[in-house]
Amino acid sequence: MLDIHITLVRGDFTLTAKLHSTALVTGLFGPSGVGKSSLLQGIAGLVKPRQGHIAIAGDTLFCSAQGINLPPHRRRIGFVFQDALLFPHLTVRNNLLYGYRQLSATERRLSLDAVVAILEIGALLDKSPQHLSGGEKQRVGLGRALLSSPRLLLLDEPLASLDERLKQQILPFLLRVRDELQIPMLYVSHALPEIRYLTEHIVGIQPGFIDSTIPFSSYADPSAPNPDR
Amino acid sequence: MLDLSEQEIAALLLSLKIAAWSSVLSCPPAIIIGWVLARFQFAGKALLDGLIHLPLVLPPIVPGYLLLLLLGNNGLLGRWLNQHFGISVAFSWRGAVLASMVMAFPLMVRAVRLSVTAIDPRLENAARTLGANPLLVFFSITLPLAAPGILAGLVLGFSRSLGEFGATITFVGNIEGETRTLPLAIYTATQMPGGDDQAARLVVLSMLLALAALAGSELLSRKLHPKTAN
Amino acid sequence: MFRNTLHCLLFALLCSLSNLASADVLVLAAASLTNALGDISKTYQAKTGEKVTISFASSSALAKQIENGLPADIFISADLKWMDYLGDKGKIDRASRSNLLGNSLVLIAPKDHGFTVTLDNGGNLPEAFTGKLCTGETETVPVGKYAKQALQTLGFWDALKARIVGTEDVRAALAFVERGECAAGIVYKTDALISPKVQVLGTFPESSHPPIVYPIARISQTEQAKAFLAYLIQAEAAKVFAQYGFTPVQP
Repeated sequence: MLDIHITLVRGDFTLTAKLHSTALVTGLFGPSGVGKSSLLQGIAGLVKPRQGHIAIAGDTLFCSAQGINLPPHRRRIGFVFQDALLFPHLTVRNNLLYGYRQLSATERRLSLDAVVAILEIGALLDKSPQHLSGGEKQRVGLGRALLSSPRLLLLDEPLASLDERLKQQILPFLLRVRDELQIPMLYVSHALPEIRYLTEHIVGIQPGFIDSTIPFSSYADPSAPNPDR
Repeated sequence: MLDLSEQEIAALLLSLKIAAWSSVLSCPPAIIIGWVLARFQFAGKALLDGLIHLPLVLPPIVPGYLLLLLLGNNGLLGRWLNQHFGISVAFSWRGAVLASMVMAFPLMVRAVRLSVTAIDPRLENAARTLGANPLLVFFSITLPLAAPGILAGLVLGFSRSLGEFGATITFVGNIEGETRTLPLAIYTATQMPGGDDQAARLVVLSMLLALAALAGSELLSRKLHPKTAN
Repeated sequence: MFRNTLHCLLFALLCSLSNLASADVLVLAAASLTNALGDISKTYQAKTGEKVTISFASSSALAKQIENGLPADIFISADLKWMDYLGDKGKIDRASRSNLLGNSLVLIAPKDHGFTVTLDNGGNLPEAFTGKLCTGETETVPVGKYAKQALQTLGFWDALKARIVGTEDVRAALAFVERGECAAGIVYKTDALISPKVQVLGTFPESSHPPIVYPIARISQTEQAKAFLAYLIQAEAAKVFAQYGFTPVQP
């Protein structure tokens, strides 16, 4: 499902990523600042890898050898940001429908009603993003990405800016997205329990280096207490 | 309140007409260039930036004189335009619009650039991942979010045009009914023996206009950005 | 000791200030006199050591300045009206007033862009060229007023008035024609003569406009002013004016 092998350079920082997964939800775990966001931006097409290839479910989105580089708006990859990044000048409804409106009728696999139901955001539709709570914003951001009928959903630390109570509120929604909508997800976080809630297929990140062929358990978990240190 | 003569009203209307045309015509290029300067890095950017800002720091006569050399009836470009298309801007209100545009342009570009820079580029990225091509991102995200700043720039450019003197008088002269805007009318009145009353009336008129422009700008910014108004 | 020095300094300062005030003769003169009067004042300075400062502009602007209290010594106008105006306001020494010079009015075009035209009642000036005609502001600047009179008398005014560009003085009009911005211009003969970039297409008949007379008068009562005015009305100065194309006038 995920067939990614790229080298990304951003300033002084180089990231080499070998990511292959057939799981519905793949977790990407590592501390902050190691390059997780850069990888997601590379997959979405927002930054261009120095070399390599990216293929999702058999479709090549990027291949330096063949000179393929689809622009972001043609990749159909949804992105859920840590800060939701809702468009402040649009209502919740128009935020949700932004990507939906770019699709033809046959491309639309999800309807507004379905997503609103799953995420329970019906009451918010006519509000402005400024008037939403943190948790509400995240749900709307998730809904917006879903309604663009993505072939892959990238989640970049979507719960990092929420408190514990809100996290517990939203995780079940993510579960519903996984089970009821069956959309492949790449979930990035530095909180292992969050990832474990959604999947057992986890890839660890070392600074500048991701390799899914290395079994996860052989990475030290920086958040767990280590008796050897 | 102000008993204005026909000539004085003509100067007022001409000022408004020229300022309006100048602002409207400057808008699209100011938006594009302001956006490019805000979002892109490229070779020669500093040069472009400097060129655009020149009218702000040069004595207004200089751009006016350069316009004359370029677009006057006998100018480098003007002669060709005149011969082949019959287009002549020297000594006409259209030339006055050009002079105003040149002088007000840097102000508008600055305002646009500032407001585009203030937009979180990640919002534009988000739009792209949702399937919007660059043109759609510009019109549906960038432009609406930059709108308050752009409008402020527009009002600033309009006010600058109303006060344009040096470049106008150098490029298109001081022709009553055609290029004699309010500032030029005031100048003429002060040069005429017995013209002090007229000068006084026109000065008061100019101040009222300036106050109106300031008030309008304040109202606009409050309406568009209720959180950030003072 | 200190007091003495202070007194000396003050005295020296006062002397120098008063020297400045009395050494300069300030003349306000019509723009068309720029070259001729400039030459004459240089000769005068070399001869007598007296410094003469001249401000050239349109007679209307100068009259305004004098009216507002500019401490000029001598005023030379390009038409009688502005001198009369100041006379009515009591700004000039009437006894010192006389008519200094005459001039004639010509039609010019940029060099190598001339056209044939007859400047009389049956003439074809409006049709003889396309484009603008530059002259002084027709309501206030003397050359513009003469031009308007001439055009009205010859029957060209209505057809041409929309094409007239009024400038703030005669030299600005000349410059526009030199640069080819205006296809034609009306200036004094003396202005056309000093410019190699324009050609004279014809002279307006004297009968088509009031006689062009340059009156001169003293504003101040200083000895230096009297001396310079006396110099201006005698033979040596008259010769220079004549060289530039001005005509003598009965005083």
